[in-house]
Amino acid sequence: MAAEFHNLQEMQHSALLVTKVFIQRDYSEGTVCRFQNKFPSELNNRIERTLLEETVKTLNSYYVEAEKIGGQSYLEGCLACATAYIVFLCMETRYEKVLKKISNYIQEQNEKIYAPRGLLLTDPIERGMRVLEVSVFEDRGSSGSTPSSSMSSCSSAR
Amino acid sequence: MEPPKPSAFIPVCTAVCLLLGSTSMFFVFTCPWLALNICPAVPPCCAVLFLFVLANFTMATFMDAGVLPVAGEDEDKDDEFRAPLYKNVEVKGVQVRMKWCASCHFYRPPRCSHCSVCDHCVEDFDHHCPWVNNCIGRRNYRYFFLFLLSLTVHMVGVFTFGLMYVLHHVDDLWKLHCLVTLVVISISGLFLIPVLGLTGFHLYLVSRGRTTNEQVTGKFQGGVNPFTRGCWNNMEYLVCSPISPTYTVRPWKRAAVRVQPPFLRPELDRQMAAKIRDNGTHSLALQNKRPSAGAVELSDIKQLKTPPPLPPKPDRSLLKSQVAVSDDMGHHTKSIIPVSIPTVPQLRPVLEAISRDSSPIPPEQLLKASDQQAGSRGVPDVSSGSKESPARGSHQVQPLLQPSGSLQLNSLPLNSRSLTLKHSSRHGSKSQLLLMHADGLGSNLAAGIISTSGLLASQCSSSVSPSYDNLISPADSQFLAQRGAPSVSYHSHFMSLGTDGTAPRPAPHSYSPVFMGVARHSPQPRDSSPSLQGLTSRDPSPSYQGFLQRDSSPGFQGLIPRDLQTQSITSRDIPPPGAAKREATCHGLPDSLRDLIPQDMTLPKSAAARYDNFSKTIMASIHERRELEERERMLRVQARSQALYGPDVGIYDIPSRRSLPPDNVRPSGSRGPTPPAYGSREFLMSTGILGYGLRTSPLSSSSTSSLTRGPKTSSSPLQSSSSSLQSKGRSSSPAYLHPERQAQGHSSSSTSTLPRLPTNTYPAPPYTSYPTAKRSSLPFPSEGKESVALGTLK
Repeated sequence: MAAEFHNLQEMQHSALLVTKVFIQRDYSEGTVCRFQNKFPSELNNRIERTLLEETVKTLNSYYVEAEKIGGQSYLEGCLACATAYIVFLCMETRYEKVLKKISNYIQEQNEKIYAPRGLLLTDPIERGMRVLEVSVFEDRGSSGSTPSSSMSSCSSAR
Repeated sequence: MEPPKPSAFIPVCTAVCLLLGSTSMFFVFTCPWLALNICPAVPPCCAVLFLFVLANFTMATFMDAGVLPVAGEDEDKDDEFRAPLYKNVEVKGVQVRMKWCASCHFYRPPRCSHCSVCDHCVEDFDHHCPWVNNCIGRRNYRYFFLFLLSLTVHMVGVFTFGLMYVLHHVDDLWKLHCLVTLVVISISGLFLIPVLGLTGFHLYLVSRGRTTNEQVTGKFQGGVNPFTRGCWNNMEYLVCSPISPTYTVRPWKRAAVRVQPPFLRPELDRQMAAKIRDNGTHSLALQNKRPSAGAVELSDIKQLKTPPPLPPKPDRSLLKSQVAVSDDMGHHTKSIIPVSIPTVPQLRPVLEAISRDSSPIPPEQLLKASDQQAGSRGVPDVSSGSKESPARGSHQVQPLLQPSGSLQLNSLPLNSRSLTLKHSSRHGSKSQLLLMHADGLGSNLAAGIISTSGLLASQCSSSVSPSYDNLISPADSQFLAQRGAPSVSYHSHFMSLGTDGTAPRPAPHSYSPVFMGVARHSPQPRDSSPSLQGLTSRDPSPSYQGFLQRDSSPGFQGLIPRDLQTQSITSRDIPPPGAAKREATCHGLPDSLRDLIPQDMTLPKSAAARYDNFSKTIMASIHERRELEERERMLRVQARSQALYGPDVGIYDIPSRRSLPPDNVRPSGSRGPTPPAYGSREFLMSTGILGYGLRTSPLSSSSTSSLTRGPKTSSSPLQSSSSSLQSKGRSSSPAYLHPERQAQGHSSSSTSTLPRLPTNTYPAPPYTSYPTAKRSSLPFPSEGKESVALGTLK
């Protein structure tokens, strides 16, 4: 009994992936990487609008920074040409650095904001930069004969 | 992707051989002389240039062009079924068409194209170059372009210097060095022309900001190219833009983020909300309170979530949310509705009682009961009030039956309540069904009635249809909750009917006979719905018969008819609630409900014994089955006649995603055009089943699933659900099951009928036709084959 109850408790505290909400790319500025800041209606009662919009805005700014054509990108290009692109084997490009920053940011957002609300953001790079995937979890409660499915894996773990 | 064909490597190998061979010959045979006679810097420069060519060639060959990974199932499942081929998006004011890629399962971003050779989508797709055996896209276009440029320069240089050498050694033309140089310059001269042409072409493309693909397909021939940045900026972008990393290979993995309930919810309008935000403890505590609540208690958090009126979600979540709401709220959640609508299951006992000629609960009594529950609130309140009771009921879940019963049916005898408790073993689908019915039935009254009937039904049907039991008991609250908005609206409708006591709709005379017939039936045979037996056990009180005559309450009549309609009504075999519903096709469900409610209220007392009499139940079920069949026949007849009424006809709307949709009130006989799957079979089945309060989980789940996918595939989900239901047919299933089975069997056997129902009612204004829809839906199930209904009930 106790074990059952314990399982029930556990069950109550496990999350089950219910659905995924996709935030699409915003192509209004061309092929630069931007995500729509439209708040999906499915998340209306899961998260505050401002939080998600803030996240998307920050992500967009990161992408703008990554794709900026400027001094650093010039240098990188020249260096690459000069070394017959061997430098790519040794050094990380700025884009890659920003992507790492984005990944950290998403991880942090997930931990702080989204996971407590039963949501998980997936790094867009894993979806080919086409969508920003928001996984929606529900509390499995005691409904389940389904195996515990606490979704712990981040999308990057895929 | 298929393995690369060997023939694909021929151009690459040829190109490599030519390039390497020629250049090496040049360096060996020509360069020494050049260094001596022209300039010593010539060979180093050529070497550097050649190195650059090779580097770019290598990058163009081996670099990922920007391959977009295939979309996962989750992403495309929404699109797959009903995705239009093109999706328009505006890019800098220009409409660009995004095409659906069937291989990769997503809409191709602008400038993206699918390479048939490599079988993947490439971002900013330019072309597939055979000489490098690779797609040229966003990531490697720069290298390709630079390769072309550098190769052109290189070839020009080789040709020029070779020519100079040859011209200086005309006399020694047949010497080895000269011969080799001749060969080299002829090769370079020969291939210089196409390479030069290609380079010039790409220079033009870059200046215009187009890709080869766009140029060749003539996309922006006459129009404006939204992707160009201007000639200079395009060049700048080409050379200096950062190269995005590949999408297909992720270098690093992140630690998993653990997602664990309880979950915070924004703007919780329930008390829970605040608690949740503070810390999860309260919600946790709440959760712990009802460990075995099951779906009902799913999560307090869920409760907090305002359940949208039947969003296309799994039943579970719906149920949970609704239950939660009802639990939580206890007071408002009109949207949840569970309360008010006297679901068919709830009404079934009443109906059965009526059919069995037991002392049927006078409608007034039922109405009173529900009214009591509903309180003296207005129509809207009724629903909320009703909700409360179920909410409360559901809140306690198992123990709840009593409270809910008490809440809803003040006068409900203990028997029913106890019976409910007995049978309230299962929740889930049944409750959903119950809710659905409840929704259909409408508001407070419904709630009261439903709870009563549900209780009764559960009790009665426990022996016969366990699912029904479940429906009744926990279902009550759950259903009510689930019914949500639609039920609310319906509820008001119902209530208005009930309270007014007037028949808003033209009283279908058929209903009267039904009730009469029901009343005439001895309660005993109707064992299928013990609760109903209880109802029927009451002598066909005048009130009941009065109820019968109360055409004005079509909805309720629709509920009751099943039992009542044995004789006159077009006899749907729906179990009492269903029957009532069906009969009430012509009339608003509320009326029926109202009628039922009072009966229901009075039923418990006399029905107590019956409920416990299982043998009687069995007999009753058999009897009911017969009655159902008869009713079904009658209902068919009636349906046809009622078809004229259109939406007014009882709607057996499938509670497609919501509480019974008001439309599709079409009697089984008069099904209109196939409605969207959303409404059709699923609805029929669900409503039919609900009508009888026996909504088996498979049924509900199947119907739910079909509901959500309804738009996508019309009849298939419904069909499958119906077929699944049918497969479960039980011969001995109680009469309650019959209607459902029949409905299902009917649906399965005759797809046309099922779809018809919803379609007909579909255009009708939801709420107005809701009661009627319910009614028609009730008859509909009865039309189904018995086996089907029974099966589904399970």
